[in-house]
Amino acid sequence: MRVTRRGGSSVGRGAAILLVAGLLPAACGGSEAYVPAGMVRTPAPDVSGVALPDADGNDFYFRADSEGLLVVYWGFTSCPDICPTTMADLRRAVRDLAEPAARIDVAMVTVDPDRDTTEVLSAYVSAFFPSGKALRTQDAAVLAAAAAPFGAAYSVETNADGFVEVEHTAFLYAIDDTGRIRLTWPFGTTSEDIRRDLEALIKEYRDA
Amino acid sequence: MHRPFRLLALAVIVALVGAACGDDEKGVSIDDPWARASAMTQNAGAVYFTVRGGTDGDTLVGASVSAEVAAQAQLHETTMDDEGMMAMSMVARVPVPAGGELAFEPGGFHVMLMDLVAPLQDGSTFEVTLAFERAGEQTVVVEVRDE
Repeated sequence: MRVTRRGGSSVGRGAAILLVAGLLPAACGGSEAYVPAGMVRTPAPDVSGVALPDADGNDFYFRADSEGLLVVYWGFTSCPDICPTTMADLRRAVRDLAEPAARIDVAMVTVDPDRDTTEVLSAYVSAFFPSGKALRTQDAAVLAAAAAPFGAAYSVETNADGFVEVEHTAFLYAIDDTGRIRLTWPFGTTSEDIRRDLEALIKEYRDA
Repeated sequence: MHRPFRLLALAVIVALVGAACGDDEKGVSIDDPWARASAMTQNAGAVYFTVRGGTDGDTLVGASVSAEVAAQAQLHETTMDDEGMMAMSMVARVPVPAGGELAFEPGGFHVMLMDLVAPLQDGSTFEVTLAFERAGEQTVVVEVRDE
């Protein structure tokens, strides 16, 4: 069984190497614009005026530090599958960056503030990103107003069995230092693709 | 020199795959069960694996875990609608095709662990029992990974 699995993936890898080798000369020749894996929305949504309370209760504005990037996720901590997968993929992308990730910050907004207390959310976020921001408000109108420009959607309902059912969009948003959403990554984007996209956005500052 | 060597390696791998596929297994088998390490305050976890149907196929009908790990284990599926809304729901039966395999993986099927007793620590292991219609209960050792 094990031989089948390893063998199978190795064949795939071998083929991938050959494919990449074939593509390299083509890639080196041209100076075509970078095509990101994330979605580019036009015009880029401006979230610079949007703020939510951080763990200390201070307003946190959705804008990256100068020449940096802010990656935002809307999720909840009782989420066993999607949220930890996304946070772990993002962590790997940031860890694997060609240059130190000092200019990349991460913030997570909870869509389930009743269960995600400040303590719970902060511990969750810092398990993935020690200096990550945990954003939370129990004011439903404030949360909805903040979600709108992102295009983030969610619903939290308790079913007949008392089980809390949460539905949510599971995108990661990359925000630049002007507070514009430059890229939106759907669930399932590989950490490798996220890393490449982050590096390309950082490079844009340098080339500007 | 590199290229011929790579081709040779590929040929060897292809030969190995062929050999491995030769020994048909009748019943189901479960490969590479793992769970992501959980954050301190995370109360839910997910177990992933690949299940092979063997020659006869089977249906996964339930999952359980020791009360020392979590209060409950359930078969769940994550789905996404056209607008990108993701939802998770319990599933009663998951058919595994004869001669095929089904991946329990992030964003799809998983065994949800509810009310974790303690955080799942990277490098630790725990047991999960999967119930199949034909094969009955199969207990597997799940490896916790921080990936």
